[in-house]
Amino acid sequence: MKILIVDDSSTMRRIIINTLSRIGYTDVVEGEHGKSGLEKLGQGGVEMIITDWNMPEMDGLEFVKAVRTQNPSIPILMVTTNAAKEDIVEALQAGVNNYVVKPFTPETLKEKIESLLG
Amino acid sequence: MDQSEIDALLTGGGKAPKKPKAAPKAPLVDSAPAVPPAPHAEPHQDGNGHVISELDTVTSVTERESNKVMDQLDQISRLVARQQQLITDMMRHEGAQSPGVQTAIHQVMGAGKEIQDKVFEAMDLMQFQDITRQKLERIVHHLRQIHDYIVDLLGTGLKGDMERPSISHTIAQTGTTPDENKAHADSVIEAFKSQKKG
Repeated sequence: MKILIVDDSSTMRRIIINTLSRIGYTDVVEGEHGKSGLEKLGQGGVEMIITDWNMPEMDGLEFVKAVRTQNPSIPILMVTTNAAKEDIVEALQAGVNNYVVKPFTPETLKEKIESLLG
Repeated sequence: MDQSEIDALLTGGGKAPKKPKAAPKAPLVDSAPAVPPAPHAEPHQDGNGHVISELDTVTSVTERESNKVMDQLDQISRLVARQQQLITDMMRHEGAQSPGVQTAIHQVMGAGKEIQDKVFEAMDLMQFQDITRQKLERIVHHLRQIHDYIVDLLGTGLKGDMERPSISHTIAQTGTTPDENKAHADSVIEAFKSQKKG
């Protein structure tokens, strides 16, 4: 399964990639903001998206809305520092399937990914 | 951070900070209100602009240094995996079949597994870098608002025009303990899904 990770922090992308590899997902592509995420998605083969919210160029919310116009069914997990209730609701309304607030444990990421794929 | 970056931070991009000119003495009888000195024209060199540029430097340097720590942790992880493989190979040797040796080997393997787990834990804890960066972004956002307000007020100087990443509405709820907000987020998701179904 190919997973697209979109986050402007290279440290955070590495942490997510490390966690994914520990739970058996090693086929990963990376984008550093929404625009590059859309480019990577356009190259094909992506079956799931993990995206941050706060990014330059195109933020996670705009990215999710853009993805949903092309692909209404791909699972999207938002992983962000935004913890306010209105933020979570806004992300869900935009088309996010599940939501993780940073900092997270590997167990939470695993649980969320499995619930999206299950 | 290397010495040149420390020097640049201390001196403001390699330049010594400008000494402000002494304000002219107020006349004994003054009809006009005192005018504050005009800010410098370059938004990212002095005043708020300089502070913003320093904070940007701090975030980029900490990200680079965090990646170096991640590199080292990756290296430790690979070395432990290699060690575990060597021990597994050793267990098959004829001389390693005695119960005492096998017990010792299992203990070494267990210790290796513990090291590996601790390395992964340390990697996960590096999330603090991204969280701190986003908190600094929030501070930069407020500083830019103050800077631009002063520029508007005085009708002089330049507003910052660098594109910034979007920032969270608030950092008040951003925690540092892993999964601190999990229950809260999960309850909001659950409520949203039930509302949608209903």
